[in-house]
Amino acid sequence: MLLIPYIFRRILQLIPTFAFIIIVVFILVRLLPGDPASAILGDRAIDANVDRINHELGLDQPVFVQFLVFVKSIATGNLGNSIVLKIPVVDLIAQRMPVTLMLTLMAAIIALILALPLAFLAALQRDKLADNAIRGVFQVGLSMPVFYLGIILLTVFGAGLGWFPVGGYGEGFLDHVHHLILPALTLALSLAAILMRNLRAAIIGVVGAEYVDFARAKGLRPRLIMIRHVLRNALISTVTLFGLSIGTLLGGAVITETVFAIPGAGRLMIDSIYGRDYPVVQGMTLALAVCVSLTFLLTDIVQAYLDPRVAR
Amino acid sequence: MKIVTIAAIAAALLLGVSSSAIAVERGGILTYARYADSLFLDPVLNDANVDIWILSNLYDTLLLPTDDGKGVQPGLATDWKVSEDGLTVTLTLRDGIKFSDGSPITGEDVKWSLERAAVPDTTWQFLVASIASIATEGNTVTITLAHPDPAFISALTVFNTAIMPKALFEAEAGASDADKAKAFAEHPVGSGPFMFSSWERGSTMKLLKNPYYWDKGEDGAALPYLDGVTFEVIPDDATRILRLQSGEVDGAELIPYARVDELEASDNLNMEMYPSTRVQYISMNVRQQVNGTDNPLANPKVRQALNYATNKEAIIQIVTHGVGTQLTSFMSTATPMHTGTDPLYPYDIEKAKALMAEAGFPDGFSTSLLVLAGNQDEIGIGTAVQQMWAAIGVKLELQQVDNATRTQQYRDGTMNMRVAAWTDDIADPNEITSYFAYSPTIDALHSGWKNDEADKLYEASQSEIDPAKRAEEYARIQEIFNTEGPTVPLYETPYPVALSKTTMGFNQIPLGNNIFRAAWLDK
Repeated sequence: MLLIPYIFRRILQLIPTFAFIIIVVFILVRLLPGDPASAILGDRAIDANVDRINHELGLDQPVFVQFLVFVKSIATGNLGNSIVLKIPVVDLIAQRMPVTLMLTLMAAIIALILALPLAFLAALQRDKLADNAIRGVFQVGLSMPVFYLGIILLTVFGAGLGWFPVGGYGEGFLDHVHHLILPALTLALSLAAILMRNLRAAIIGVVGAEYVDFARAKGLRPRLIMIRHVLRNALISTVTLFGLSIGTLLGGAVITETVFAIPGAGRLMIDSIYGRDYPVVQGMTLALAVCVSLTFLLTDIVQAYLDPRVAR
Repeated sequence: MKIVTIAAIAAALLLGVSSSAIAVERGGILTYARYADSLFLDPVLNDANVDIWILSNLYDTLLLPTDDGKGVQPGLATDWKVSEDGLTVTLTLRDGIKFSDGSPITGEDVKWSLERAAVPDTTWQFLVASIASIATEGNTVTITLAHPDPAFISALTVFNTAIMPKALFEAEAGASDADKAKAFAEHPVGSGPFMFSSWERGSTMKLLKNPYYWDKGEDGAALPYLDGVTFEVIPDDATRILRLQSGEVDGAELIPYARVDELEASDNLNMEMYPSTRVQYISMNVRQQVNGTDNPLANPKVRQALNYATNKEAIIQIVTHGVGTQLTSFMSTATPMHTGTDPLYPYDIEKAKALMAEAGFPDGFSTSLLVLAGNQDEIGIGTAVQQMWAAIGVKLELQQVDNATRTQQYRDGTMNMRVAAWTDDIADPNEITSYFAYSPTIDALHSGWKNDEADKLYEASQSEIDPAKRAEEYARIQEIFNTEGPTVPLYETPYPVALSKTTMGFNQIPLGNNIFRAAWLDK
């Protein structure tokens, strides 16, 4: 089995990736004009107060020293304290990341539930009414901005029909799920549209392939042909696309979290960038990078399983 | 029912006048939707309105601002006296006052809290910088001032002079005051009408009724009427309104101006416009040179020309949908000692052209304006003045930047102009004047503007104990600043808050403080 060494190799490759991300985010956040004190104080930024805050935060130290402090904080796993919120960054990550991951996961599941059967239907009914209807509806979903779609869903299913809460996150796991359905659907629609189109095209391509004709000629049952020969081969590119889209989903969560008032990592990230909250931006970027990298890793593994040539 | 009525009744109650016009109901949790979460619940070390505006619900001060935000009424202290020479302030603490954990509020707590507020180099220390020493004996607190300070009584209503439990604070982990403050602010204890219960950052903060609060309601029993207040953070304007309309929250702050008319017409909501000290203006860099080139804005005539070329009424219609009113001084009409009745610089394009010619710029010049990226109000203002100033030959480039970038640019003196807003924190003109007109504080809004007479008048006003003379000093400062200052004053706006019809007795005072003390739910 080639899969195990392949996975090991892929994990080793993640280490330089993380090192690169750490350096880049450390530099980028400091290249932004302004500093935390200015961002916090605004009009009331008197030199003495700015200097005091920068000194408290160690921002008056040479950048090299600050980088060593940052690397040390990663090594010890504490990641420092938020400048604006005054609490440890690890606590913030522990509070916010699960929210965003749950939102992303629910969106991914909804997208798959929508995309897989409809892609099949559209491919098999190619250019017929069902195909055109499915593609038309998804086209609308794809072209609608997330914040607009979110408000429409909130207005209709939240405030109007009362099926879902109008924003917020709720208390307890089931309540969280209930609160996250509309935002996850909002996020899922555009992804579902992309996946559906991709898979439909892949299925159409595979159905016409010679090995499918051969399988059919062998007298295999149509269902078996569909699952073993068509779906498995058609899914390869869709899995790649799906894996790559998770990163985009995490990015899209920023707007969704704002519209639906969900206390997730995306909103915290934006606030922290505006507030020049260096430790939070660094810590959250690292956490997001870990999540995205693990998703890519998982994608590669699934792909290697579907197409063993990948692992060679 | 109008909020003003309730406010008046609450004020009457505080003065000991009984009233039974409205039967208040007790109990229930009021849920209030905020646009952003609090950051740091320490009265002294906080820096942001998201903290300041709710702190008084948790922490009580010796004195309280009146509902119009201009005066002072008793708080933890029942009365106060200023000596004739203005150097000694004597306050009497209320009998039997307690923190929300049931421990008594002692003179030592008061002394320690005020001394902590007066530690130099914190953002708000300037409000109580005149404190020389504090002594307490029994219920009497005697504060000796280094110089007469006419704004000191008002300062005792400001959040940073809140009374905190010394023993609890000092028992927190941490080596420094800042570290202890971080720990304490995670589960604060004060003596305000509500006490801290829980906080899911970025989402929900729950406050419960403080069973030891000193003030009495209209029914003779202890305030507050509510069992608690829950703050929900809903950053998106449309969602905040939708949540209010669907009845999931009882009130929502910062309603966009564009939605005010619609919500006013709504049957199940009260659209309240609370008078505020918020002023919106354009601030200029008036240094002789900016980035190594001569700066046209250094010429007062150019600044006046830009003022006359700005159609403020049009901007009020475009940006605030008619909600704002033109400024009659750089400070809001809700600021004590504000002077002026007529809008500044009525729109007059011919006068503007003449002034430009006199200043030596008959064909205009090119300059730039910083606006906050994504802020519709600022972008609206920028786009409007871009067109208006083109009529006098001024080519304006709009630069969208974020807050930290903007702050960096005006602190470095590299920007030309920026759109800005201001809200007072104290019921006194000293704070806004210090930042706008008194050059030693921040170079007059970081503009580089300096007027010796204004500087001297401000310094005199800081220890002038004759109210009439002090008012004269502020009148003159306003006259100077309004004529040749480094701003284009645009408008002042109230605080737009939408409440469900069942939400009563809530108030937001002109300084921005959200007051839930006498709020109740009509169930």
